[in-house]
Amino acid sequence: MQREATPAQADVSELDLVKRCQAGDSEAFDQLVTRYRTRVFAMIYNMVHNEQDAWDLAQDSFVKAWKSIRRFRGKSSFYTWIYRIVMNVTIDWLRKRQIKAGGAEFDDAIQLKEIEPASRTVPKADPLPHQRLERTEIRARIDQAIAQLSPEHRAVILMKEIEEMQYHEIAESLGCSIGTVMSRLFYARKKLQNSLKDVYENV
Amino acid sequence: MKTFEEKWTAWLDGQLSGRELIEFESSLPDLAAAETEKRDAHKLSAFLKKELAFQTLTNEEFFSHQIRDRITRESETRSRGGLRSTWWTVPRLVWSGATALALFVICAVAIIRDHQPGQQSEYLTQILNSRVDPGVNPHATISIFESKNDNKVTVLWTEGLQTLPADYAAK
Repeated sequence: MQREATPAQADVSELDLVKRCQAGDSEAFDQLVTRYRTRVFAMIYNMVHNEQDAWDLAQDSFVKAWKSIRRFRGKSSFYTWIYRIVMNVTIDWLRKRQIKAGGAEFDDAIQLKEIEPASRTVPKADPLPHQRLERTEIRARIDQAIAQLSPEHRAVILMKEIEEMQYHEIAESLGCSIGTVMSRLFYARKKLQNSLKDVYENV
Repeated sequence: MKTFEEKWTAWLDGQLSGRELIEFESSLPDLAAAETEKRDAHKLSAFLKKELAFQTLTNEEFFSHQIRDRITRESETRSRGGLRSTWWTVPRLVWSGATALALFVICAVAIIRDHQPGQQSEYLTQILNSRVDPGVNPHATISIFESKNDNKVTVLWTEGLQTLPADYAAK
């Protein structure tokens, strides 16, 4: 998946939309929301594993982006800029929830009824009941494994494996160095390999 | 200088090349085991992509509508707040300045009044009007010294008194 890595490569119409937003045009912002809402929602959902929370956090992220769009200088792509906001909002939320839970390890105590993953994956045709059940179980295993990672480790693994972002884009989105991103990826992958080996070996 | 974790991650993602790749691979104690782990990591990557990549947002239009709504509400609140603050700032400054000045004047007047020389006290008048009975106290003298600076201190100097005249007792 190709992404805009530098302003020079960035989509001109997107920059135009950003400029219009900076001038106070909320319709232009609406177009940016339409472009990114699904990816932003999916990213957050994969981190928090709850549809309602993901919905609220995605909304908060976009509203925050609108409020601070005048500060966007175009040094990075709009995509990495909005991901930075998304990551700040989501990681803050996860940390606060961890504090409320009494500093427990990053297990989100996922309940299967909250997940409903099969309905949100996009198969070519409706799966058979046993296939649906199998997918539900697989999704639950993945979510449990991700829930045991720290928010920062979740962020890097999802941005790298699902969003296929480059190291420098992840670093910009998280406000850390490329070395930190690579190091976090190393540990996140190791942990997921240990937790999910039996699942992905048999699928 | 890259750490082992950074090199390993770069190696897994195919980001090492040339001399760096050769050096890293030759530094591995068991290249075959590392290759197996690399394949394993790629399997994990493909598996995650397959299972997580298709998360969809239901009610997309409602999602956008809610954002538009929030932005409109917040913009209105901000503009109302902005108007209110500009309306408040100037009168508030004027009123607080005037109040502070009035309080200052009241306090200053009260303090100046307190510093004015007081009237002669009731007790001093009694003492000055009293007479020392020469029969009872033949050698008695009473001197009164008043401080000239602030008239606040009165020194009563008595000498040779055998008894204190009853008239001197403060009533």
